[in-house]
Amino acid sequence: MVYAPHYPIETERLRLRPFTRGDVDAVFAYRQREDVAQYLFDGPMSHESVTEVVQQRIGQYELDGEGAKVFLAAELKEPQRVIGEVSLILRDAPARQAEIGYIFHPEFHGRGYATEAARMLLEMGFEGAGMHRIYARCDARNAGSWKVMERLGMRREAHFREHALFKGAWDEEFVYALLEGEWRDRAGR
Amino acid sequence: MAMPDFPIETERLTLRNFHKSDLDAVMAYHALPEVQRYLDWKARDRGEVKAALDAMCAQRRLTRPGDALTMAVVRKADDMLIGQISLRWTDATAGQAELRFILSPAQRRQGYARESVRAMLDLGFNELGLHRIYARCSGRNQASAKLLKDIGMRLEAHFREHALFQGEWDEELHFAILDREWLRGSKVKELNHHMVA
Repeated sequence: MVYAPHYPIETERLRLRPFTRGDVDAVFAYRQREDVAQYLFDGPMSHESVTEVVQQRIGQYELDGEGAKVFLAAELKEPQRVIGEVSLILRDAPARQAEIGYIFHPEFHGRGYATEAARMLLEMGFEGAGMHRIYARCDARNAGSWKVMERLGMRREAHFREHALFKGAWDEEFVYALLEGEWRDRAGR
Repeated sequence: MAMPDFPIETERLTLRNFHKSDLDAVMAYHALPEVQRYLDWKARDRGEVKAALDAMCAQRRLTRPGDALTMAVVRKADDMLIGQISLRWTDATAGQAELRFILSPAQRRQGYARESVRAMLDLGFNELGLHRIYARCSGRNQASAKLLKDIGMRLEAHFREHALFQGEWDEELHFAILDREWLRGSKVKELNHHMVA
């Protein structure tokens, strides 16, 4: 199974495209922030580690087997600026399961950009890659993130309480999911 | 992890370690198709059941994450082995363990599973100091789901078509309970018991 989309992918206000070396400063602008790192595995990142991450992601734009990851820059069309990143990861090839994720610069929160980008990830996953189920996870305190999932019609499938330690405190996690049939019903396809 | 003295006695049951001599009793329920489908391993014939029993005999201590403690469930009245129950230590720093149990189909609907689950939760929280114990079951296994819910575990997850299992879409439920939830529940029951008495 190979899913190699044609880039850039356009939404109303955004352009999703593979990373380039020129994106380091824009990514550093939000990845260095404590409020962005709070719910991520990584802490606030140095310019050097952002450079490494961006370098690694430049080649990650196709799903070519289990575990394959697509990382894309989310670029605002007007004014042209990278304001976040999105991901689509093939977790289980035979059962056609994928996970999506998104990180946006806090200065651009509250305007529906994450919802717009995540809706496109679902379309890519279901219609492009032929997935059966797509899920997303987030910290239960991260209301901004799970509200995006609810707006997209994803169901809350799990609420794990104190199931792990995360950065020295008890972790509480939500898992949201959508099946291909549900996606088609919602999209009227 | 410090292990208490076994066996564990409940009202009608003894939970003890497995022995090689339990082969016939384990064979009687392991090899049944309706038990098979919920097992991690294949146990269709005597050779496969013996291999499973050998593994269970060795599961007597939680020494490092990944270890399981598996107990034979024996009915006191007639000394019959009617099932098994286990705790698998999945995360040491966060004090997490998974509870699993199998009861011989012929011995169901008499509260034996509930009695042994209760004993294992007491063991896990009171003796082993775990923080959270969880159990998974198939969405189609309504008896297990009801038992786990009735005993006070919360339904934390309901995954739909999240995997393929033997060629079909799998539906999986996760139940969990935290130490303070279990201990609070036990105190309330004790109190009620005293008030009735």
